[in-house]
Amino acid sequence: MKALILLTLIIIGFTSCEKVIDVDLNEANPVIAIEGSFSAEDSTVRVKISLTANYFGTNQPASVSDATVTIIDQNGITSSVPLIGDGYYELQNYIPSFNTVYTLNVVHNGQSYSAQCKLFSAVPLNPLSYEYFPSFFGSDPGYAVFLNFDDPIGIENYYQIVLTKNDTTLNTIPDYYTQDDQLTDGNTVSRPLFTLFDIADTIDLEFRSIDKKVYDYINEIQATIGGNSSAPANPTSNWSNKALGYFNAYSSSKGSIIIQ
Amino acid sequence: MKLFFFVAFFLLTTNTLFAQNFTVSGTIKDSTNGEDLFGASVRVKELSNVGAVANAYGFFSLTLEKGSYTLLFRSIGFSDKEVAIDLMEDKNLTIELNIPKEVQEIDAVKVSATKENENITSSGMNVTKFNPKDIETIPVLFGEKDIMKTLQLTPGVKSAGEGNAGFFVRGGGSDQNLVLLDEAPVYNASHLLGFFSVFNSDAIKDLSLYKSGIPAEYGGRASSVLDVKMRDGNNKKFGASGGIGLISSRLTLEAPIVKDKGSFIISGRRSYVDLFLKAAPDTNIRDTKLFFYDLNAKANYRIGEKDRIFLSGYFGRDKLGVGDAFGFNWGNATATARWNHLISSKMFSNTSVIFSNFDYEFNIGSGDEGFGVSSSIQDWNLKQDFSYYLNNSNTLKFGGNGIYHTFKPGSLTGENESFNEVILDERYGLEFAFYLQNEQKIGSRLNLMYGLRYSGFSLLGDGYAYEFDANGEVSSSTAVSKGDVIQYHGGFEPRFSASYILTENNSIKLSYNRNLQYLHQVSNSTTSSPTDIWVPSSNNVKPQIGDQVAAGYYHNFKQNTYVISTEIYYKNLLNQIDYRDGAESFLNNEIEGEFVYGTGKAYGFELQVQKKKGKFTGWISYTLSRSLRNFDDINDGQTFSARQDRIHDISVVLMYRLNKSLAFSSSWIYYTGDAATFPSGKYEINGSIIPFYTERNGYRMPDYHRLDLGLTWYMKEREKFEHNMNFSIYNAYNRENAYAINFKVNPDNPDQTQAVQTTLFKIIPSITYNFNLK
Repeated sequence: MKALILLTLIIIGFTSCEKVIDVDLNEANPVIAIEGSFSAEDSTVRVKISLTANYFGTNQPASVSDATVTIIDQNGITSSVPLIGDGYYELQNYIPSFNTVYTLNVVHNGQSYSAQCKLFSAVPLNPLSYEYFPSFFGSDPGYAVFLNFDDPIGIENYYQIVLTKNDTTLNTIPDYYTQDDQLTDGNTVSRPLFTLFDIADTIDLEFRSIDKKVYDYINEIQATIGGNSSAPANPTSNWSNKALGYFNAYSSSKGSIIIQ
Repeated sequence: MKLFFFVAFFLLTTNTLFAQNFTVSGTIKDSTNGEDLFGASVRVKELSNVGAVANAYGFFSLTLEKGSYTLLFRSIGFSDKEVAIDLMEDKNLTIELNIPKEVQEIDAVKVSATKENENITSSGMNVTKFNPKDIETIPVLFGEKDIMKTLQLTPGVKSAGEGNAGFFVRGGGSDQNLVLLDEAPVYNASHLLGFFSVFNSDAIKDLSLYKSGIPAEYGGRASSVLDVKMRDGNNKKFGASGGIGLISSRLTLEAPIVKDKGSFIISGRRSYVDLFLKAAPDTNIRDTKLFFYDLNAKANYRIGEKDRIFLSGYFGRDKLGVGDAFGFNWGNATATARWNHLISSKMFSNTSVIFSNFDYEFNIGSGDEGFGVSSSIQDWNLKQDFSYYLNNSNTLKFGGNGIYHTFKPGSLTGENESFNEVILDERYGLEFAFYLQNEQKIGSRLNLMYGLRYSGFSLLGDGYAYEFDANGEVSSSTAVSKGDVIQYHGGFEPRFSASYILTENNSIKLSYNRNLQYLHQVSNSTTSSPTDIWVPSSNNVKPQIGDQVAAGYYHNFKQNTYVISTEIYYKNLLNQIDYRDGAESFLNNEIEGEFVYGTGKAYGFELQVQKKKGKFTGWISYTLSRSLRNFDDINDGQTFSARQDRIHDISVVLMYRLNKSLAFSSSWIYYTGDAATFPSGKYEINGSIIPFYTERNGYRMPDYHRLDLGLTWYMKEREKFEHNMNFSIYNAYNRENAYAINFKVNPDNPDQTQAVQTTLFKIIPSITYNFNLK
């Protein structure tokens, strides 16, 4: 019986395989990459600036520590965001004004880069829940947390979900979840998030309300990392002057649950 | 327009100036089963350069002066037949040609001096024609005889890659080929995501591919026409044939309805990979559904001497799924009702009513949590074609058709309360065309085919018509009711081809055609998938326009044993469509805002050398070509290579008939890799390494090549029964061809990035058993 199944799988093309190969790539001139965020939760503006590096090179992308970074609110008031470390710039105690547009500016090597993002007010979370999911096609079983909330009707809402497991924030691009309300406007949503946890894990969920441009950016960059597009392109960033990266001004609601 | 009809009227009436002419006409058929012989020819022995070719229904018409003649009937694969006639009045003949008794002999390709230099003497550019019998022994994936895959071994036709049944003709997109099955358009010509085509070779009589010099009776796609005709069924006696293979099996039944007057044929196929999976211990694998089935059926009946009716249909479905959790199914359904009528011995009419439907749906979950997404396109088509055999130097074809399209781009429905029901705006379209064409012989060397087609498309509404700004955001939306015209597009499509016979063994040909295309399939991924949507032309989307000039030189030698054809072409494509970067294509009512528009150019040189006779037969094809695109919004407006820009493409097909029971075949293909977009740098965002892209399609995939081998063992034949076993090996030297290359971080060393190549098929052997009850 096993032999028959193996034969079938072989026959229908499961003879596929993967291997690492050498590819000759052109190396482009370095381009600036700026990750900016403004969290209304802790009133802090954080900016990280680096440059692109050769794709197969072993050097890490170089940090940029000689840029001038400023943030401007809807009234045109400019605040400076000072350098605090290698390529990192931070401004604390920057009081948020909800439903207004913020502009982040970076000047480096005679070039100016600017990004705008609207800060939306937070949408509250309903109490979290979880459910056990058994093994599916060889994957490990585990508990998935459900995102529960009421989507405000009549407004285009975009969300980003960041999970924290036992005080470790899952903060890389593939860990993020995004949610929109194209199909769920005004509904009570209960959506399982397929990062599986074990018993005794403490899960913190940060539910961020974000701008549509940031929502699109996160989806596009996740697709780029996934590497499954035939016509891959750089994700559409909200930076001007061809800078890579994004500027995310967001507010959050938080919830917690322990798997028992 | 007026001049048009005046000229037509003039040509029709000049006939009365000639006196004492009579017409001999009729049908040429296969004596074993009554099938019409499309392309069979008749020549008058006593007169030089007087002859005719049978149309798709086997009908021919010759007008001669009163007198006695010997008519010579021929068709490839059949013995010639001579018929003496005394032409004192119009005559109607039914001619049946016999298959020569030595058909099983060493000379594998049927030897019959039957217009072997047809490629030299026919008017119009070379049409790539296949008969399923021609390619019986060519090995293909999984041992399944597949006409579409064999077509990709000829020059100018490129496969879209492994796991993909779409194809590209002379640098055009995969939606630019009109695929017709008994006149009905087939929107998705593949099963199981591209592993098999929808054409069951047992049910197919004839397949013709027009790459250039497309006759005026065809229209609707910018690059090519693939016209597939189903068999009519044996009208003399019952026949059955079929085959059992490792992946799928097929059965064909045919019989007369009334002997020599009518017959039917039913042909079915089903794959059963998933039946093996039912024995698996893992419940998930046990519940997996992975199969396709298709059914071709046709019936025809001759009512009296002048009328014949046909009814044919195709129904096929693919299902993929895992229990209740997930299901994906799609398929085509087509039906054609046709009436052939002989208005006179010189005028043939064909009236068809055609239905075609393509839909897909996928379902997730079941009961309260279930929801599904579906989409479809449906056509109703009324078509009228006339052939008027004016005289032996002029054959006129004219007619028209109208298609009513219904587009249902997507709907989401189900019990799951989290999701709102979404039904995207349905659209309707009316596409129509009129054409007039003449095929004219001038002297004994020059053949001309010239015609004009006028086509138009009206997009009719329901829902909203949108206008967009430069960023693809909606700038205005207007409500439209069902039946309102949102936009009309139309234009003339001139068609011209000429051939000049230099000697009996040499000819040159020239052609020009313009083709308008009103329906577009915009695809966002590497592989063509059933979820690629068909979009109609509208107030935002203009019709694609293809203009092509082509020239060719043909040379036969050693008594037509070797045939060399060379062609060069240049194609200009306007109003090409692509998605803007980061486009949202799923269930998007405002999808037109995601499109960007540009132009394309393709040009190339094709060479094919065939050996048609002897123990060794086969061909070598070589294509040298470029296919380029230019869009203001892509690649900063710089011209870039289309994905299918494969500079060199070589196929070598060899068939060797060892003896009466063994036939060996092999095919080797090689092509330079597709254009692809690879990163030119990397950067870091939120701790992840992100590839940085500069030019679109600035790199190449690795070259692709593989060898397939096949051996057919013809087992002992009995009087009424013949059978064979076919063994084949796909990718015999086990080359790991690249299906995709992904750039990612090394899982063992996060500081390093690497390029990972995925190969779909390595070496795959298979066995098929085929039988034929005759």
